[in-house]
Amino acid sequence: MAKRVKPRVKVPKSASAGEVVTIKTLISHPMESGQRKDKDGNLIPRRIINSFKCEFNGQPVFSCDIDPAISANPYFEFSARVGESGTFKFTWVDDDGTVYELEEPIAVN
Amino acid sequence: MMFGRMLALGAPLAALGLLMAPWSETRAAPEVPLYTEGSAAQSPWERSIYGARWGDRDSSAFNTLDNTNASPELPPIGELRPVPAGIAGDPEKGKELAANRRKGGSCLACHVMGPAGNADLPGNVGPDLSEIGTFGHDDSYLYNYVYDPRVFNPETSMPPWGAHGILTEEEVVHIVAFMKTLTSPVEFSDPRDDPETRPVPVEDRDGQDPLVNPAIWTMETALDLYEEAGPTGKSCASCHSPAEEDFSTWAASMPVWEPRLDKVLGVEEFVYRHARATTGAEWLMQSEENLAMAMYLRFVANGTPIDVDTESEGAKAAIARAETLYHTKLGQLNFSCADCHEDSKGANKWVRGQWLGESRGQLPHFPVYRTSRSEIWDIRKRLQWCNVAIWADELAPDAKVYGDLELWLSSKNEGLPLNAPNIRH
Repeated sequence: MAKRVKPRVKVPKSASAGEVVTIKTLISHPMESGQRKDKDGNLIPRRIINSFKCEFNGQPVFSCDIDPAISANPYFEFSARVGESGTFKFTWVDDDGTVYELEEPIAVN
Repeated sequence: MMFGRMLALGAPLAALGLLMAPWSETRAAPEVPLYTEGSAAQSPWERSIYGARWGDRDSSAFNTLDNTNASPELPPIGELRPVPAGIAGDPEKGKELAANRRKGGSCLACHVMGPAGNADLPGNVGPDLSEIGTFGHDDSYLYNYVYDPRVFNPETSMPPWGAHGILTEEEVVHIVAFMKTLTSPVEFSDPRDDPETRPVPVEDRDGQDPLVNPAIWTMETALDLYEEAGPTGKSCASCHSPAEEDFSTWAASMPVWEPRLDKVLGVEEFVYRHARATTGAEWLMQSEENLAMAMYLRFVANGTPIDVDTESEGAKAAIARAETLYHTKLGQLNFSCADCHEDSKGANKWVRGQWLGESRGQLPHFPVYRTSRSEIWDIRKRLQWCNVAIWADELAPDAKVYGDLELWLSSKNEGLPLNAPNIRH
């Protein structure tokens, strides 16, 4: 189910100045903990998303380190107060070095 | 696209039909290409999909959907078995057995039985037995009712626990001893424990939101599959416009009786057989590709009311067969579909913590992502699971009888809008 890594976010298209908006993020990812064994008893190498951050117009909104206990397809929902139009930028870092990025604009009126 | 959207699929065949008209019967409609050989699923079928917990039970001595004469015969009414002598009933052992989920789901799955099993989520398919010890039943009555209730009522939904080898004679004696200790109504500490006051589950998640339903991620791969050339060099898009245009209502007319295969074809089997005959792709039923395409083809038809053909001779016969099967007892637990899903029987009641739905109202949301198993289930897998859950051997997903049942179910769900894929526990 989580063979293809794909980040997704939900951000309102618009908000009024000073409004607190809810942001939902999810990245489909196996989050292999590194502690499981395969059928032959060999450890399956760890491969997780190890960090996530969200910025708005370059300012930090939310960030976290992620450890192996987090289950597959990590989902983060948080809120942010927006005072101006701009762009939310989301960044996920994979153990294999891949960096996944998404951007979502929001219009403040 | 190399081939463009050049021709409606059947146009070359229709032209052929006209050419041949003078010396052969013209056809009402051109036939859709279908690969008619072999199985549309993994063959031979293996139950590996269910994992070890469900994989090793041998139910071959009992009825299946395609062998309804396997189970032991119905006992004559009134022919009571003697209560075995020399076994002292132990109410404590009986109490444990009544709550033992490995014994066919336990008595508590269907009955409130006082505080047995800590009154943990009992069901209410059968009557509340909390005061059965005060009803004045003798040992013979209670023993026989548990061993094989059909000696009193051949129509009962209750499994023949002894006659079908789920409980031993000794275990039944212990359960009888336990029942005789039940003399006062149970007091539930939480209204959610009481099946009469437990809130009915309401599904309010948005099943088509990819942040809610992981099945959408699989479904999205169908967009690539649609354009991907198969072994013949053709893709779906070689002949079809985008699915949103060509298939905006199609899935609501499925399943359909298919004379060439002498069976009812659902979306999933159709996808395999049509793709195999055209692009050459082998998207076996329940494979990731088949599920993706089957979900996508329903998704683009979402909102269309289910409207299947029930009038052709083949369809009528299929529905008649399904109607009989719906009332046929299957498996070691000896349940018919009707026992759980007919309103006058088990439907709209609780079996343990699970709410039993009616035949109408569930089909439109299949295929469904099951959060309890992290798997996408098409309707055929759901029917297979029904079999396994009542301790009956399931059939391959392309079995003719599943087609009959799917068509019958669709006729029961006539008019309800497609709403797929969706998400359930």
